[in-house]
Order: sequence, then C-alpha cells, then structure tokens
Amino acid sequence: MSGGEVHISVVGVVLAAIFLASLGGMLWWMLHPPAPIGPAVARAYRGVSALKRILVPVKGTGYSDRAVELACRLGQEQQAELILTYVIEVPLSLPLNTPLDQEERRAREALERAVELVKLHNLKPIPVVRRDRDVGRGIVSVVADYDVDLVVIGLNPRRIAAGDSIGRGIETILRRAGVEVIIDMVPEE
Amino acid sequence: MAEERTAVVELRRDVTVWGSYMWGFADVGADTFVALGLVFAFSEGAAPLAFLLAGTVYILVGLAYTELASAYPVAGGGQYFALRGLGDFWSLVAGSALVLDYTLCTALFAYFAVTYFSHFVPALAEATLAIGPFEHVRVGLALATLLLIAFLTWLNVRGMRQASLLNELIGVLIILMESLIISMGLIFAWKPELLMAQWTETFANFHPRQFLYGASLAIISFVGLESISQAAQETRRPATIVPRTSIVLVFTVFLFAVSLSVLTLGTVRWEVFLDERNIGRSVAIVAGHLPWIGRVAEDVTAALAVLVLMLSSNSGVMSVSRVAFSMSRYDSISSWFEHVHPRYRTPARTIVIFSAIAALQVVLASLTESAIDTLANMYAFGATLGYTLVMVSLIRLRFTDPYTPRPYRVPFNIPIRREGTIIHVPILGIIGLAGITAVLVIVLFTHEIAAVAGPAWVLLSSLYYAWYRWRRGLPIFRSVPRHWEKEQMEVLEAAEEYDLLEQYRIALAERDRWRRRLNHEAGTIVE
Repeated sequence: MSGGEVHISVVGVVLAAIFLASLGGMLWWMLHPPAPIGPAVARAYRGVSALKRILVPVKGTGYSDRAVELACRLGQEQQAELILTYVIEVPLSLPLNTPLDQEERRAREALERAVELVKLHNLKPIPVVRRDRDVGRGIVSVVADYDVDLVVIGLNPRRIAAGDSIGRGIETILRRAGVEVIIDMVPEE
Repeated sequence: MAEERTAVVELRRDVTVWGSYMWGFADVGADTFVALGLVFAFSEGAAPLAFLLAGTVYILVGLAYTELASAYPVAGGGQYFALRGLGDFWSLVAGSALVLDYTLCTALFAYFAVTYFSHFVPALAEATLAIGPFEHVRVGLALATLLLIAFLTWLNVRGMRQASLLNELIGVLIILMESLIISMGLIFAWKPELLMAQWTETFANFHPRQFLYGASLAIISFVGLESISQAAQETRRPATIVPRTSIVLVFTVFLFAVSLSVLTLGTVRWEVFLDERNIGRSVAIVAGHLPWIGRVAEDVTAALAVLVLMLSSNSGVMSVSRVAFSMSRYDSISSWFEHVHPRYRTPARTIVIFSAIAALQVVLASLTESAIDTLANMYAFGATLGYTLVMVSLIRLRFTDPYTPRPYRVPFNIPIRREGTIIHVPILGIIGLAGITAVLVIVLFTHEIAAVAGPAWVLLSSLYYAWYRWRRGLPIFRSVPRHWEKEQMEVLEAAEEYDLLEQYRIALAERDRWRRRLNHEAGTIVE
C-alpha cells in the first residue's frame, strides 16, 4: 500500500487544529515551571504565614491603635487571632485584686476601640485584661498563656525624642517573651 | 512495636521536567498501541465513546495520583498510598494488584512488541500449532515473546538499565509520529461520513455487554500511572515538577487515545480488527491509510511501536522489583525479596521470579482462544483494583492526614472544619471512586478469566501475607505503628522541598497547639 486516497473535510481540519493546539499548549505549560525556593526563603515566607496569634498591648492611644491595625494587616491572609491585652498595673502597696474602677473603665474603653478595629478586618479579637505589678511581665505572662506567635507594640515617639530608653516594659518583653516582637514607631511630623 | 526499619531516603537524580514527563509517557504512551485494535474489536463503531468513558475515569484517577505523588514523593505508588491511607493489609492487596499488573505489563507488552514485529516477519504471526485440546496455538508469537522476556530478564539482572536518554528519544519520536498520524490523518484521510455510518450501524444493533467489555478494555490505554509516583521519587522538587508533568501526561495520553480512535473510525472499517493479527498492529494499519506517505508511515510506526512496547515491557520488569522492595520494607512480604545480587548489585531474585510469572502468563494465555484478549483481561483487573484502592486512599488521607501539604489538590472540594483544621472533602475523588468501582464491577462481570484468576491471585497473596506476618509475630489485619511524620519530613528534605517542609512543620505545630488550647476559652478574661 502506498497510502490511502486524499479526502479533505472541514471538520477534520478543525479537529486537527484543536488537537495540535491542545497538545502544544499543554507541553508549553509543562515546560515552564516556577523557579525553586531555597530553605531560608521558604522559612521566611512560611514563617509569616504561621503567625496565627498576634498579641497587641493596647492603651487607648493612637500609637496602640496603629499597632492593632498593623497587626491586623500582618494577620489578614492567614486569618490570625488578635490577642488585645490591657495590663492594669497594681502598685506593690495594694493587693493584686484591689478594685481599680477608673483603670478598669479605661481598659474597657481601650479594648472596645481595638476590638472594633479588628472586626473591620473580619478577624477574631480576643480581649484580655490582666492585672500585674509590671506591664512587661503581664504581657509576657499573656504570651505564654495564649501561645502567642508575635507581639506588635506601638511606641510613642515622644518618649524616645525626650531621650528616654524604650521603656522597662518593652525591654522585659524583648528579653523574656521568647517570640517575635515588632515595635512600631512613627516619627512625629 | 515491631522492629523498626529506618527509612531509606534515596539520592535523587536531577530528572528534568521533560525527563519526568517522558518517564511516564514511555510507559503510558505505549498503551494506545495495545488497546486501539482490542477496543474496536469489541466496541465496534462505539469505540471512541468507550475511550471517552474510560478516559474520563482515568483523568479522575490520574488527578488523584498527581495529588498523592506530589504529597508523598516516594516510590511504591499505589501500594504506598494504600499503606498510608488504609493500613498494612490493604496495602498488601494494592501491592499484589500492582505486582500482577507489572508481570502482565511485561507479558502483554512483550507479546504486542512481537506482534508489531510480525509486520516485518509475517511468518511469526502465522505459525500456529494444535496442542492436545488447544487448537490454533500461536507458537510463533508465544516463543518469540518468551525469548524477549528472557532477554529483558537477563538485561535487568545484569543491571543494564535502559538509558534515560534513550527513553526520552523514543518518547519524542512516538509523540511526533502519533501527532503526525493524527493531524495528517484528520486533514487528508478522515471521512466524517464513514465515522457516522459506522457509528449508526453499531447503535442500530447495539450490544451493551459487548460495549461495556470494550470500555473496560479501554482502561488499559491508560495504565501506567504508577510511573508518576516513581518519577516523583527520582525528581528534585517533585511538588513543583510532578503536578505539571503528571497532569500533562494524563491529558496528552487521553488526547492521543480519543483522537486516534476518532481518526480510526473515520478511516478504517472496524471489522479489520476482528483478525487478531491486525489487533496486534492496529496503529500501523491506521498509519498505512495516510495519503502519500502511507507505506513508509506504516513501517516506521510498526518499528517505533516495537521499540516503545519493548521499553514498556522492560519497565514492567524494572518496576516490579521496586514495588517488591517497598512491600518488603513495610513488612508485607519477606525481606528475602530485597536480596541484591553480590556481583551485579541488582534485585536478581525478584526480577527472575516475577519474570518467570510473566512467562507463565504468556504460556497460559497462548492456550486460550485469544492470548491478547486474555492478557488484557487480567491487566484491566489488576489496574482497576489498584486504582480503586488509590481512590479510597485519597479520600481517607484527606481526613486522617490533612497536615501533609498538597502542592496539588484534586479540584472541587467541600471544606469542613474538624479538630482545628480544614478538611477538604474531594467531590471529584468521590465521583472518581464511583467511576473506577463501576469499571471494576464491569471487569468482574464481563471478563470471565479475570473474574476468577484475578481474585485468586489476590487471595493467594493474602494467604502468603498472613503466614508471613504470623511467623514474624506481626498483626495480620491491624497495622504496625510507624513514625510517618518523621519519615515525611525526611522525604521532603531529601526532595529539596523546603517550602513544603516548612508548611508541614507549621501544620503539625498548629495541630499540637490546637490540642493544647482545648482548655482555653475565648472571650474577655479578667484576672
């Protein structure tokens, strides 16, 4: 047999074109995979995705509100939970469970504001009020109790401008929290 | 806990994207050369529909393999997935189905390589003999097949593995040749009126049982998905490469099978394939109908078919030793099968024993009315049983191991929250399971030989397994406890899948944290 007779049909030509286009398209897609990711990059990339519980110390100031907003943005993609913490500092001269009405009201107001902010992002807020002798120590204890991945702190730039250190509380958190800490400070205009 | 074996993490070859694809194509791509004539012989003018139905099920199974092979890039394929998903006993059942399929792969493809070769030496196909009650035994084809199996066994025992480059070269030639046949055939030789006439004739006198039989045979056009997981074991960055290569492999094979069946129906009368000698060289016959280059195309196609079928047959010999090694490593069969030849450094025992089983299959099949039909029968049984267990494993692993990252996930899932994590219930997986189970039932009801010999093989394997486990003091129906998480991390690290490794660690940490958090209450806590 030297071959069959020639018989051309429109449907046949269309089918052949579809066949070749499909085959070519698939092979082209296959031969263009994305670039590889190294171990360090993978760790950084996935590390941020792993931030599922973010703690923000709130004080009812614009700086802490900004820290809440920043934390929401960081936790948005992985739907993180926001642990909004207000520490009531109880002086050593008083028992730890002494009622401090004014301070408790301030805590409620600050937390309500922060919760509102978090809800704007459709994230889950977990408001926590803790009593402690020291703010830093209180935050560290909440970090441990709630298995927190990250602490975001809003810092008042005036305190730094005045020549202060960044504060005893923050230093305690940096030294003892054992988790990633982000300090946010916007320079004053 | 039984004596624990440390996981062997092999060094990975730097298999390229193309190499990984060709690895699979050299195996699955040869199937069309086997199935085309067979399916036409039984499904007649409805053959394209049979290919389409079987192909749809195959795509769903292929997507499941893609997910599992990229999530668990370990050789062993279906046997390993069943081990992870269903436990030791079902892993044995899947493994025995695979071993049966690999020995049949060796036998069937060697037989077909010889029948395509008979295109050049017709005397091979014409030599018949009456042996006792068995009339028309094709001794020529049978003896040549046995010689070919013996040659492949010798090659593999000596450790002369087929070169990857040769694999790729032949694969490229097959793709080019098949594409040329299909595109040229559709443009210059395809007659829509012939297709419609044959289609109408078939449905005017439709035999559902015969059609279903053909459709169940069409599934053998798509056997070889195991090669996806074997390629994953040898590929760097399998999570990135394997989903691409395997999805393209699944769809290109589907495209070739359906296109070739449509071309055949509009080019050749299906009755041509009632002659077994033509079944054995069906693609070459279609190529012979191309205008101008028909004669050359027919000869070249037959020659390439001989080569690719020999490669496929050889992959059966090679792959069976891998599965046996995996089964032995996970306490399904004796470590006797792991023995490596002191001189050639190859698993000689496994190769010789399973090649001998393949040779026996050829002898027994040659005594039946149609050796090709008998071997294909059994091949369809092994494949469908193995695939059914893989589909069940896919679904179960979504529930039992949601932590292992899936770089590719079978699409269309219903997310549900369970134990602090999201479980994706695979809708397509469930449809695929229903489809492949239906094919298995059809095989058992329409394939007389497979319905008896297939389950008998699985039963024998199960009896051996029970005896072996009892002797070693291991549970028969329960599983041996294993450190899957540790092994998974080692596998991902060896595969250089650092991103997946991080994802996996994070997922496990999340799970552990969730368990710790059960005692905590959300809400404002004033202390």
